[in-house]
Amino acid sequence: MIALVVVSTFAVLVLGVLVAGLLRSHADILRSLHELGVGVGDPVLEAGAATPAPAAATATATGAAPPTLAPTTLAPTAAPAPPLGPAPTIAGRTPAGDARAISVTNSDGLTLLAFLSSGCASCAGFWEALGHPGRLDLPAGTRAVIVTKGPDREVPSEVRARATGQVPVVMSTEAWLEYQVPGSPFFVLVDGATGTKVGQGVANHVGQLVDLVRRAEHDRGGDASRGGDRGRNRRRGRRNDPALGGPEREAAADEVLRAAGIHPGDPSLYPRTLDDVFPHRS
Amino acid sequence: MATIGAHGITARLPQGFEGRIYVRPSAVGPTYPVAQFATFPIPDEVGDFGSGAVNLMGPGDVFATLFEYGPESLGTALFARQGRPAALAAADFSPTMLRRGLPGQSGTQWFFTEAGRPFSFYAVLGSHTMRHVLVPRLNQLVTALGVTATAPGLPAARPLWN
Repeated sequence: MIALVVVSTFAVLVLGVLVAGLLRSHADILRSLHELGVGVGDPVLEAGAATPAPAAATATATGAAPPTLAPTTLAPTAAPAPPLGPAPTIAGRTPAGDARAISVTNSDGLTLLAFLSSGCASCAGFWEALGHPGRLDLPAGTRAVIVTKGPDREVPSEVRARATGQVPVVMSTEAWLEYQVPGSPFFVLVDGATGTKVGQGVANHVGQLVDLVRRAEHDRGGDASRGGDRGRNRRRGRRNDPALGGPEREAAADEVLRAAGIHPGDPSLYPRTLDDVFPHRS
Repeated sequence: MATIGAHGITARLPQGFEGRIYVRPSAVGPTYPVAQFATFPIPDEVGDFGSGAVNLMGPGDVFATLFEYGPESLGTALFARQGRPAALAAADFSPTMLRRGLPGQSGTQWFFTEAGRPFSFYAVLGSHTMRHVLVPRLNQLVTALGVTATAPGLPAARPLWN
């Protein structure tokens, strides 16, 4: 009887140690998952307000992007991310030997810079898709620009063979250096309203790329239903849009007049002679 | 500050400007370099003097084109002026100087010979009322242009948007 009690006690102690070890191991696993941002019971995730993997976004900010960077880095993250740096003007040559400079900060719309190469197999789908931007269903006002390395690193005839003429193609090694492009394909999304990059990274296929651009447009408060260039000209007004009519046209005219310093009652609104309208006609 | 150059024309683009320097393809005869600059996105399909672009301008925008004519224009009275204007004045702009008269806008055009090449410089302001603000910005561009004596050889084939 005494031996049975001793054995039972020993067995309980051993099982207790095992259970304690398992609990500790489970706690370690949960803590590790939590640190990775996917912890069970994470209140942030339960609220549905977070996007996982902030570590990938940090990698893009340093320009040291891994080969298979998560495409989610192209979209703005919910958590404050470190600034992605300035968005300089893209200047270089066209495949035809002309000169081209594209400012990414002179409109309110998004500019999608696609850094592609002529000899990159994974770029082929993006050449084809971006060459026909009308089929992509990008948010209205989004400008797509293909940037290859300059004629010193690319064969212009190869680039010209891939250019459709429907989207600007700029050959500029300087742009690759300024945007710290790690390799092709690589994409940078610039918000013209703020003059800053809002995302950069790699997408695996065109559908992902378009989806991420649309999410970025949505996150910045854009409305994909805006037509044509209207989104591009939110800030500056669009007084000459023939599609405007009625109250919308009147509002656009008022906006332009206010921007020019002409307010209700201004004498210039009530010309009496032709010279009031054309002061320099003589 | 970005710099572009082609066909014997260079430009150090002031902040906010974009531009292109191209030769339009032609099947009927020689064409000559054109340089376009704007403070708004220049559409891919745009006329040499800005048709298709000036209607997109906001009141705070400017558009300019430097258009070269053929050598037969050299020595004619229209191109007698030597060199582009050093600086434009607000009084140089008029709503009647527009190739396409859009309400509120104004323009100016100059013909001259520079580096032995006949040019026309045409500029449009998005708002004539704001000319005192916009002309200094345009002058930044005018002073940043460069023209060399001869344009290098031009490639044969080029996409339409160039």
